[in-house]
Amino acid sequence: MPERERALQSLQSTPRDVGPTADDLLPLVARGDEAAFERLYDVVSGSVFGLIRRVVRDQAQSEEVFQEVMLEVWRTATRFDPQRGGATTWILTLTHRRAVDRVRSAQAASHREDRAARLDPARPFDEVSEQVNGKLEQRQVRRCLSFLTELQRESVLLAYYQGYSYPEVASLLGIPLGTVKTRMRDGLIRLRDCMGVTG
Amino acid sequence: MRTTSADLHTLTGAYAVNALSDFERTAFEAHLTRCESCAVEVAELAATASRLGAAVEFAPPPQLRARVLAAAAETRQLPPHTARVPNPRRVRWAGGLLAAACLVAAVFVTVQYTQTGQERQLAQLSSEYSRFSDFLSTPDAKLVNGTAPNGATGTAVVSASRDEALFLAKGLPDPGADRVYQLWLIGADNDPQPAGLLDSRSAPVVVNGLSGVQKVALTVEPRGGSPKPTSDAVMAMPLA
Repeated sequence: MPERERALQSLQSTPRDVGPTADDLLPLVARGDEAAFERLYDVVSGSVFGLIRRVVRDQAQSEEVFQEVMLEVWRTATRFDPQRGGATTWILTLTHRRAVDRVRSAQAASHREDRAARLDPARPFDEVSEQVNGKLEQRQVRRCLSFLTELQRESVLLAYYQGYSYPEVASLLGIPLGTVKTRMRDGLIRLRDCMGVTG
Repeated sequence: MRTTSADLHTLTGAYAVNALSDFERTAFEAHLTRCESCAVEVAELAATASRLGAAVEFAPPPQLRARVLAAAAETRQLPPHTARVPNPRRVRWAGGLLAAACLVAAVFVTVQYTQTGQERQLAQLSSEYSRFSDFLSTPDAKLVNGTAPNGATGTAVVSASRDEALFLAKGLPDPGADRVYQLWLIGADNDPQPAGLLDSRSAPVVVNGLSGVQKVALTVEPRGGSPKPTSDAVMAMPLA
């Protein structure tokens, strides 16, 4: 199995601080390699937990969702298809969906009006601005976000970081449903082009 | 009540940031299996969105590491997907009834799959599923949403070229003993025509003959349905 050999080689030959990437490790995890899963945990757990915490907010619930997501990564690694995208994207897409599922089910049980009233639409970007500094890739995200129009940026960030559905985003921003959908798409396309993402 | 209609193709961004309802997500994912350019765009936009995720890194409490690893050691992994059943392109639609049966099966299997992981059922019905996506990928397929006062939601996928619509509801309250939900088509004359009963509160219904129809409405009727509505609509959605 040349793929496995390559991945094992990269485990042995790369310096500790660089180490194997999620793309190296996930195919090994798919074959039931627990040691690879342990290393994958160390590579991705910060991003996974950070994203959950950002969306869910509550610490105890974030920890619950985090454990569910990491276990799902282990359980469904066999379904990862490298042809269709990178391992980090696959893991963070799964993470975001679980985080959003959690806030939507919690939201269904609480009063929507209360939540909406507490919300300041300008908040997400401010908070991102606070957190997004230091690392090169984080600076790039921040720089690229600044190229979006205000509506594009808020539509994307309210949905992504707050876990709001597009009708909720439309209501918060006071714009029609059709508009919010196109703003989300246009905003992401602009980000994609700025970041040079190829999928 | 809130309504909207939208071309499925414009949903790539909302899908990538998980801003769709469950039904829209299911419908859009089926659409993706047939729309190559949408699938490419979704992959790119999902990768873009995940950069936003990676930008808010925060270390989990250290004690979770051992817990996750121990849980993984005791959890069986899903079997990988095997080669797909060939796409039955030569199978033609055999009229509305067969289509309805297939759509119902496909939607149910999708729901069952996410809820209970009934993989085998999904594999067995993958050919029916492809017919469902065939419907969703018609160029003029549109999504229409409605919300009832109690928060129940309705979604219809409407194709004018096929002259058909697929209606799904979620969160409908129990209609009561000996009562059913009935669907109606309403034209310019405001004379509702019966369009089928919801076998269960979440069962999809396929509606044919949309010519002149302006909206779809849902009422609660005595078991067996009524020739004309006997109660006010719990939900109504414009199709235009």
